[in-house]
Amino acid sequence: MKWPDTISIKQIALAFITGLLVLVSLIGGFAAYQTRTVTRSLEQHNQNAARSELTAAVQRLLNQTDEQATSLANWDETRQQLVLPEYYTYWRDQRVYESGILPSRFVRAALYTHSGSLLAPSATQNSLPARLPAGVSSHQASSWLVGEAGVTALYHAFPVYIDERRQSLLGYGLIRLDFMPALLQQESLHFTDIASVSLALKPGEKLPASDLFSKLKFSARPDPDRLRFQTILSRTLLALFVLLMVTALLGFVVYNRLLVRPLRKLSQDIDAMQHGRFSPHSSRSQAMRISELENVRRSLYEYQLQLRELHGSLEHQNREFHSQARQDALTGCHNRRAYEEDWESFRHELKTSPQGVAFLLFDCDRFKTINDTYGHAKGDRVLSIIADALVMALRANDRLYRLGGDEFATFLSRTTPAQAKQIAQRCQSLLDASAFSDLGINEPVGISIGIAFCAADQLEHVDDLPKQADIAMYTAKQPGRTRVALYGEDTERASQTLVASRETSALFQALATPGMLEMHYQSIHALPGCKVDYYEALARIRYHGELIQPDAFLPVINSRRLEAEFDLAVLNQVDADLTSQQLPPGIGVSINLSAQSISHPEIVSQLLELSRHNARHPLMLEITETSLITQMVEVRTYLDLLRTVNYRIAMDDFGTGYSPLRYLVDLPVDVVKFDISLVNKLGQDDRAGQVVADFARMMSDAGYSLVAEGVETDAILRKVESLGIAHVQGYLLSRPVPLADIATHLAVQAAGVTCTV
Amino acid sequence: MRIYLLCLLISVFPVAANASIVQQEMRPGIPANAEYLIGERSKPAVLLLHGFLQTREFPTVTTLARGLQDAGYTVLSPTLSLNIPNRTHSLACEAVHKHGMDDDVAEIGHWVDWLKSQGYRSIVLVGHSFGSLQLLVYLSTHPDPAIKAYIGASLVEAQVGATSRPILIAQLEDRIRNNRRALVTQSLSFCRKYTSTPEDLLSYVRWDQPSVLTALKQSPVRVQLIMGDADSLLGQGWLKVLQHIQIPMVVVHGGSHFMDGEHEFDLLDHTLKFLEGIPQGTSR
Repeated sequence: MKWPDTISIKQIALAFITGLLVLVSLIGGFAAYQTRTVTRSLEQHNQNAARSELTAAVQRLLNQTDEQATSLANWDETRQQLVLPEYYTYWRDQRVYESGILPSRFVRAALYTHSGSLLAPSATQNSLPARLPAGVSSHQASSWLVGEAGVTALYHAFPVYIDERRQSLLGYGLIRLDFMPALLQQESLHFTDIASVSLALKPGEKLPASDLFSKLKFSARPDPDRLRFQTILSRTLLALFVLLMVTALLGFVVYNRLLVRPLRKLSQDIDAMQHGRFSPHSSRSQAMRISELENVRRSLYEYQLQLRELHGSLEHQNREFHSQARQDALTGCHNRRAYEEDWESFRHELKTSPQGVAFLLFDCDRFKTINDTYGHAKGDRVLSIIADALVMALRANDRLYRLGGDEFATFLSRTTPAQAKQIAQRCQSLLDASAFSDLGINEPVGISIGIAFCAADQLEHVDDLPKQADIAMYTAKQPGRTRVALYGEDTERASQTLVASRETSALFQALATPGMLEMHYQSIHALPGCKVDYYEALARIRYHGELIQPDAFLPVINSRRLEAEFDLAVLNQVDADLTSQQLPPGIGVSINLSAQSISHPEIVSQLLELSRHNARHPLMLEITETSLITQMVEVRTYLDLLRTVNYRIAMDDFGTGYSPLRYLVDLPVDVVKFDISLVNKLGQDDRAGQVVADFARMMSDAGYSLVAEGVETDAILRKVESLGIAHVQGYLLSRPVPLADIATHLAVQAAGVTCTV
Repeated sequence: MRIYLLCLLISVFPVAANASIVQQEMRPGIPANAEYLIGERSKPAVLLLHGFLQTREFPTVTTLARGLQDAGYTVLSPTLSLNIPNRTHSLACEAVHKHGMDDDVAEIGHWVDWLKSQGYRSIVLVGHSFGSLQLLVYLSTHPDPAIKAYIGASLVEAQVGATSRPILIAQLEDRIRNNRRALVTQSLSFCRKYTSTPEDLLSYVRWDQPSVLTALKQSPVRVQLIMGDADSLLGQGWLKVLQHIQIPMVVVHGGSHFMDGEHEFDLLDHTLKFLEGIPQGTSR
């Protein structure tokens, strides 16, 4: 039997009451048992008393009869009748009674001659025997009982002598009496049930008086005090039991009302609170009669109020958080998360409510230039103004989403291509009217809008709308366009559209499919001697057998802010290449990383994983100097961490970015790679060439290891070597090769290709 | 105390030694007994008879007997059998009285004869109440030279109550003639319901006052009556009648029928005084 883990207070009360009733029943049963024992003892005592008093009564009757017989025997008139029996009947029927010798007429007397013959027969029913039975002694009296026609007669025979000396026998006397009436009329029978006394003698059966008790049957008289005692006790027990039952029932009701019900209510309220159901009309405001429960109720009630307030506050904050999580902090419009949720929800809605849908994609023209020129603060202001203008241009229920950077989107329900174009035109108009000049921006700020439309009967293609709008947006950006393009109408741009679509698709597939990204390696040579020191890993996308170059998909990466995803894919592929051990030991590998990717934990984690190859292949990270590093402190922290696992840090494309000197100062840079635009300056003999040369020399003196990128002529190679730059890279020495060709490439390099001028 | 007890034993022992119970068969199957108190042989013997239906144990009789014995007189105190073997108790009025005056006189004769057989030639008959009548009847019907005197204490006739004695006698005689043996209940003496056979009852009823007076007057021996003037059982005017005919009589003032109390001594004194005048009989 398995006991429940918990039991309710009601069950406890029921168990207690049941136990109490069982205890009372046991006590009552024990009392009844004791009463029965006492009763049986009393019954036995009564039986013994009845036996004793009946024995005494019988003996008394026999003694009384014997005394009567003695009186008769000694009575002068008795002797007279035995001598002169002429008036015997008078003596027998009258004198014995008048004289008081015999007490009543129920007792009969008779006289017999010394030969045993009756003096005279009786005319009454109770006739006495004509002759004395044999065995009657002449010396002593004898008694016996005889069953006679439904009655039991007691006979007592006695001798009668002529004088007290008993020398001469005159005759015999006989007394007959009805035994049972004579016995039972005695007033001394208190314990014997008179009605139960019986003596079973067959008619004519003779029983000596000495054997009387062998056939005398009787029972004790019920003791009225005992019966009264039993009745009182039974009624008392019953009343006690009923009283306890009623008390228990009332107690249970009171207990249930005062304790169980309030506790259950409290428990229900606590459960409701646990499940977040707060009833404004809760009975917790009602007072309880038990002070402790009232304290608990009050505390719970106050606690509930506090919880309700807290819950309300939390709900408000949740709504705030939810709103903020779905809101772009900069522009106030919905962010990319909101876009994804709403778009998914809208797509489901379309299944039940078909309608025409237009997807509009907005992209700010030349925003990067504005940002670079006027700074981020003004760039942010520009985005806010654009967002405000677009929100004002959209319909009341339309939502504007900022997908990232300067890219916005919206989808219009229950619309037509013409209405979508009209709304797009309104966006352009409102934006043109915006006062960007107040920000000190003199150049015109415009947006390109790509529109994709799906009719209500073609909703199976609704998933293509974002991609189509993207294509349309790129179409709108084409020179000479009206900056608003509807997908499907510009047939003359179909090929370009296809290309753009193919590169985008290739990129997304490459990001989602391991192996599509293919790394090519371009050697970096050490000077002097141009010996291959390490390779720079450069990404390519193998799409339908064709190799897509970085300049085709990098803009998509930048515009979609896919730098981190792309860098993660590159790291995975480099890891796979290094694990394949196709690269000879000792040959290092340099990997390009966006500065934004350094801030992503996944990237850092993958780099730490990749560092296991450092023993076999020294690894270097090339951070593009052109990218904007906004989180300088975090980037420095991560770079310091990576250097502890033997990564070397290189500043890539140095000379083309925003703040090159600041980056060199703030970031732990080991290698500086001069951009090809700077390297090409070295070939000039003007002041620019001199500045670059002096700068390279200064940095070399400062301890930086320099790499000259884009060396494509011998003149530049000589100039680089003369400046003391340690490494060179460029088509003059080697073009990027697939992993499988590295061994061959190294062999060829080792066979005689030198760069010594 | 010891001395007292010794004296008592010494005084009682001779009496006890001179007392016995005498039993005689009056009729076949009817024994009777008497107390025999032996006195001085020089004094007359006294035959002391109890009253109607009583025994010799009657207090008046026993007291008198003891007194007489103490005075040196031999006393024979029988209990009339009344036809009951060895009767020991007074007989109830309602009992079957199958005895008559003749039976009583016969038994008196038996005891007189027994005294004579014992050598007493001077016998004084002393009776109480009805016993005085029975002794008087014996005197009148069986004169005997040994009988020297007669004392009747509280002598009464056979009283029949309010019943007319002649009518009663006639009825009884009629029953006897017609052999009607049924018992008759009649007022007799102090019994209101005396039950007896007709002839037996008649034997008593015949002794009315005139018969008694006649017997007294014709007594062959000296007669002495001792009567109490407070005797309520006597017939009205009975004492005056006795005094009128000049029967020797001592009247005890205040004495009742039973001469009880202090009058026991009066009875004894008068009896003894009378006996002193009786000539001594010859013994043996």
